[in-house]
Amino acid sequence: MPVEFPPPELRAACEEIVARYPVRSAAALPILHLAQRHYDNWISPEVEAGVARYLGVGDAHVRGLLTFYAMYNHRPAGRHEVWVCRTLTCWLRGAAALKAAALARTGCARAGEPSADGRFLVKDMECLGLCELAPAVFVDGTPHTHVTPEALARLLDACE
Amino acid sequence: MAPRPPAPAALTPETRVLSRNFGVAGSWTLAVARERGAYASLEKALGSMRPDEVVEEVKKSRLRGRGGAGFPTGVKWGFVPKDSPKPKYIVVNADESEPGTFKDRYLMELDPHLLLEGALIAAYAVGASKVWIYIRGEYPLCIERVEGAIREARAAGILGDRVLGHAFSCDADVHPGAGAYICGEETGLLESLEGKRGHPRIKPPFPAVEGAFGCPTVINNVETLMHVPWIVAHGGEAFARQGLPPDPANPRSLGSAGTKLMGVSGAVRTPGLWEFEFGITLRELVYGYGGGPLEGRAIKAVIPGGLSMPVLTEAELDVRMGFDELQKAGSGLGTACAIVMDDTCDMVDACENIAHFFADESCGQCTPCREGCHWMEKIFRRIRSGAGTPADLDLLEGLFVNIEGRTICALADAAVWPLRSIVRKFRGEFLRRMRPQPAPGAAAVAGGR
Ligand SMILES: Cc1cc2nc3c(=O)[nH]c(=O)nc-3n(C[C@H](O)[C@H](O)[C@H](O)COP(=O)(O)O)c2cc1C
Ligand code: SF4
Ligand code: FES
Repeated sequence: MPVEFPPPELRAACEEIVARYPVRSAAALPILHLAQRHYDNWISPEVEAGVARYLGVGDAHVRGLLTFYAMYNHRPAGRHEVWVCRTLTCWLRGAAALKAAALARTGCARAGEPSADGRFLVKDMECLGLCELAPAVFVDGTPHTHVTPEALARLLDACE
Repeated sequence: MAPRPPAPAALTPETRVLSRNFGVAGSWTLAVARERGAYASLEKALGSMRPDEVVEEVKKSRLRGRGGAGFPTGVKWGFVPKDSPKPKYIVVNADESEPGTFKDRYLMELDPHLLLEGALIAAYAVGASKVWIYIRGEYPLCIERVEGAIREARAAGILGDRVLGHAFSCDADVHPGAGAYICGEETGLLESLEGKRGHPRIKPPFPAVEGAFGCPTVINNVETLMHVPWIVAHGGEAFARQGLPPDPANPRSLGSAGTKLMGVSGAVRTPGLWEFEFGITLRELVYGYGGGPLEGRAIKAVIPGGLSMPVLTEAELDVRMGFDELQKAGSGLGTACAIVMDDTCDMVDACENIAHFFADESCGQCTPCREGCHWMEKIFRRIRSGAGTPADLDLLEGLFVNIEGRTICALADAAVWPLRSIVRKFRGEFLRRMRPQPAPGAAAVAGGR
């Protein structure tokens, strides 16, 4: 069953976004960002269907977006999302140790899978554009730079 | 401290074109930006120049695109049909996903009004009624600042109906990306702007004729457009006098006019971003501004601009940072944000890391790219594990030939260039990781360090 999308509290924001574009379906990316923020950091098949109906496209089109773009989650994600940059500059400045620390501290078995307690999702990300401050990590959308494994552990411990 | 190179120095706050307002408190707000002269060039263009005069000035400036390919901006604007009944668009490429590159982030965070001004002048020049600014989703502060600037500009009559009271109307909106390198490729970006997966299009038709939503579209990089207000204020010829002139011996050479943001990241002491006139050498950039190698280490190799260009060895760093100069040196300017590798960096491991990036980011439309990038990654992994043989290097050479130039977009070429240059210039490192070979000739193929 598709959820009723947009829910009343998102209606005004969604209408404002759709109005920017000459075709409705073009609003998909910003609408999915909004939806993911609203529904526990992931787009369930029900939300996917609701968004598809709202934009006038097929469910499969929306699924195609969710699997193509790294920022969307089409499976349940942890409450806190941790991005560790793995690309060359960060790798040169110690990103591998950060990833190991992130997995160990969160109890995630691997990147891309939420921890068993549902608290965390660690993602391998490609260059986050913070290379002069490498290595870089995002926690819940907030950038952190010059990160050490110890500093990362403290950041993660501060998440509920 | 590494010695600072005597010349050319970084530009001073007075001579900077792009980073004039960096470090000024509240530089991203309309009040501060206006106090420092924002929108004066837009007023000049709208009030005293015809659209074709603006295009002519940009042609004279010899401004070349700062997104990586270096296409002459004025020429691109000239491709937009004048008689089309369709709406026209300016699309700002603010996807900046090229690894090692962070220049557009500074520009958008610190001077979003200069970006809007450049984009509006471009819109006036080609007759566009809407500006789309495609900002990668991983740049939340850029999105916030540019959206804030749009709101301020609308309220002040700089965006919308009758811009600054002139008979020209244009609006702007931000379109956020969602994490895909390929959406920096201009036609992948257009697909993504239309709400689809970022699958690059076959060209022609070129975006100038059929771009966003089937309409004539100019796509320019953030930095490219931010040069335009200066060009309108001071004239194209003044811009063209800065930087490196065209090579007189080569009639096709366009030179490298104007200033450029250049960055350094990786294994150096003081990574960062500076604005220079074109002409500084890569060595001056890496040692003088990047601060040289970290304590007790030595620089081994540098990719001069992003990840997608051939690598230069330490001995090759005396090349000037310019489009033609780096091409002549067998590499390319790319985004002019250099990535530095030092003697602790294992080149086999680095290749695996690089190949993984391209395999991860291939959109999957073309077989040579989709399969080839993964195949290269697997070969590097095999060599890393010690199970490789010299035949793997031949296999890689065969893959390079079968990937480069055989795909819809340049992502596949961008994968081949750094990898092939590393495999060739550091061949010895690869051979040392291989199983001892029965054939005694194998080890003598070295040529790298
Ligand atoms: C794989 C790939 C990624 C690219 N990424 C970017 C990017 O992030 N930003 C950008 O401005 N140009 C990028 N480009 C270049 C664009 O396709 C295009 O040339 C550029 O936006 C044109 O603007 P300019 O002429 O002002 O440079 C990329 C190209 C390729 C092939
Ligand atoms: S070269 Fe690669 S990224 Fe570009 S269109 Fe083909 S498959 Fe997609
Ligand atoms: S390589 Fe990690 S932020 Fe650029």
